[in-house]
Amino acid sequence: MKTSTKSLDWGLTTQRLLAVAALLAIWQVVIWSGTLPSMTPGVAALASSIGAALTSATFWSALAQTMTAAVSGWLIAVAAGTVLGLLIGSVRALDRSTSILIDFGRSFPVLALMPVVIMLLGATAKMETVVVALSCLWPVLVQTIYGARRMDSAVVDTVRIFQIPALLRFRRVLLPSATPFIATGIRISASIAILVAVGVEVLSQTPGIGRQITLAQQDQRWDSAFAYLFFAGLVGWSIASLLNFAEGRILKWNRQTND
Amino acid sequence: MAIQAAPEQVQVATKPLLHVQGLTMSYGAGDSENKILNDLNLEVNDGEFVSIVGPSGVGKTTLLRCLSGLVQPRSGTVSVGGEIINGPHRDLAVVFQDYSRSLLPWMTTLENVAFPLQGRGVGKKERNETAEKNLAAVGLAGQGHKYPWEMSGGMQQRVAIARALAYNAKVLLMDEPFASVDAQTRFDLEDLVIDLQSSLGVTIILVTHDIDEALYLADKVIVLAEKPATVVDVIETGFGDHRDQVDTKADPRFVEARARILHRLRDH
Amino acid sequence: MTETALRSAPKLETAARARRRPKAQRVRSRPARIVLDVLQRTWLIVVVFAVWWIATAESTNVFIPSLESILVSLFRDLSNGVIASGAAYSLGNLAAGLLIAVAVGIIGGLILGETKRLREIVDPVIHFFRSIPQAALVPLIIGAFGIGQGPKIYTIAFACMWPVLLNTIDGVLGVEPTIRKFSKVYRIPRGLHFRKVVLPAALPQIVAGVRVALPIGITVMVVSELFAANKGLGFYILNSSATFMVPETWAGALLVGVIGYILSLLFIVLERRILSWYFKSGAK
Repeated sequence: MKTSTKSLDWGLTTQRLLAVAALLAIWQVVIWSGTLPSMTPGVAALASSIGAALTSATFWSALAQTMTAAVSGWLIAVAAGTVLGLLIGSVRALDRSTSILIDFGRSFPVLALMPVVIMLLGATAKMETVVVALSCLWPVLVQTIYGARRMDSAVVDTVRIFQIPALLRFRRVLLPSATPFIATGIRISASIAILVAVGVEVLSQTPGIGRQITLAQQDQRWDSAFAYLFFAGLVGWSIASLLNFAEGRILKWNRQTND
Repeated sequence: MAIQAAPEQVQVATKPLLHVQGLTMSYGAGDSENKILNDLNLEVNDGEFVSIVGPSGVGKTTLLRCLSGLVQPRSGTVSVGGEIINGPHRDLAVVFQDYSRSLLPWMTTLENVAFPLQGRGVGKKERNETAEKNLAAVGLAGQGHKYPWEMSGGMQQRVAIARALAYNAKVLLMDEPFASVDAQTRFDLEDLVIDLQSSLGVTIILVTHDIDEALYLADKVIVLAEKPATVVDVIETGFGDHRDQVDTKADPRFVEARARILHRLRDH
Repeated sequence: MTETALRSAPKLETAARARRRPKAQRVRSRPARIVLDVLQRTWLIVVVFAVWWIATAESTNVFIPSLESILVSLFRDLSNGVIASGAAYSLGNLAAGLLIAVAVGIIGGLILGETKRLREIVDPVIHFFRSIPQAALVPLIIGAFGIGQGPKIYTIAFACMWPVLLNTIDGVLGVEPTIRKFSKVYRIPRGLHFRKVVLPAALPQIVAGVRVALPIGITVMVVSELFAANKGLGFYILNSSATFMVPETWAGALLVGVIGYILSLLFIVLERRILSWYFKSGAK
């Protein structure tokens, strides 16, 4: 990356923009050709409703509602998943006892529980947070367990030979060696958080981006439905890139050893 | 210069520091039992440098793991200073073959060397000083702020040696410590270990499959062969403290001893 | 991309452990070990079920039916075929959607993996599309194309395609340079090179991508049916809840979970078969 010249990077950016333009052109041509249902918005309509959304209070409050539920659910999951994962991963008997339950939990499509959860908690922000937390828990938990369990045999031998006491071993060996895995779990669950929050809103009509998409679609305002979809993708993408970047910075040693 | 014949004849006046009696090790049980070590007896004196040499897969690493207390033998005992080993012991430090995996990548070199001391409850200032001193002893003065992965393989193995030295154990066990570095680095590290051993007076047991290395480094070479492994020969090298990669290896005694070991291994 | 690869790791680890265990612990008698192992792995599930059963047995909350009544409705609807036809419909959609996703993902991934420039150009676009919450597509696609089978399959395909695509790219990039050079030196024709060198070498990563895609597919399948459908497992859940048949709602949700679990187990078995060379060679 560093070695490529500036002019080359400019070339790449131009080509990337051209690719996006080509994609939009294809979109527009498909619309004109009439292959897609008539309600699908054209490029111009899409652009103007993206602009309109940016100045609309509804959009910003919907975004805030989605983000609040997603972030709080995610944080709960990260806290619970890390603590439980470290515990389970470092105690062999616990690991074995919980393995089937955890395999079951991680493959459980939590959104299928929506009707049940709505019955129990109502279509509220609290319910949304709970569902997000339940969905985000598994990747964090599974990754943390794996990270805590995985300790390199050479490291295990080293720790034993030098008779490192349990607490120091946990703090300076187990935790750092599990950190890259925990970080991955946290990153995966962040994308899941947005995804599930929007999903919950689509299904339960809890306020937020997902609900706005459904409402817009029902009102036949297809252009704004697509605009909201665009922002949902944009948010997910920004969060993923941000966490990727942060992970690279914080876990410098891990990237180095993997090279 | 005495090259003694059979293991039974190696009798020492002083009480040995490390004593192995009837050591037997196997994995599995019944029909599938796989015997690795069979009734091994060894004695290592204080301040002695002993090499254990044998062909790949003969059970050298298993022997070293038994000596270090990482695994419990099926029968027989290992004792250090009269105390029977039944787990990792304060008086035993190990330098592993796989330096890149045994150094912790999230710690700086200095932290790595100081870590065993931290485990023993040594204060920060003191353990950093000790670590610094031992890094200097292996030729890495002022490199403590670097991470292991910023260093070459040879430098990493120096760090591992410094860590073992800082632990200040009576016996240093080395498992094929130079097997994964290039030839020139290997010679440098061998000479470093010889210097450290003569200046610090630490007892070293080094396991290797390289006959030249075993002879060059050690006061006493123990030859393992057969499966399960048994001691087939013990050779006192008698080269003294001053060794040279070229001259010592050209020494007729060296050549003779090498031939003798090769014969021993071939005949078994 | 790394996350998908890492996600697969726990499974690989258990595989390695499973292989190692009998050797290391053959000391104790084999049947005793197996019994102990099974007990150790299952006791907690038994406890969870027992607690659930007892805690809900006297439940007066209409929304929390007793586990007994949930299981009774589940077995009734399983035996009278109500669920079976719904499940066949849902799983058929899932299979079709996954198949499309895998085909498109692998072909696209092979092309993008082999052409660096193209990959760099479309990289931001791919990452943007992959970040669109799949569930948000459901109202749009159903609104535009109706509640039929086709739109559901396409939504599943769209959602599942990205992990397969990204993992295929990763797998292609990860092909050992020596193997590439060998292929070049021996002048292996392009088609053969793709089929017999690049594809198998990338296969472990591709399979890992499909494993990530599977739960996404199940989620989208259920969500699309919960949103609007007249058939399928999601419809069974939705319909039960709309007609206030609470035990059936719970039963349906649990069933989807069990199906998700069984599918993930089946996938592991399949993976072992497809990638037996990979596991045996101990490449990872």
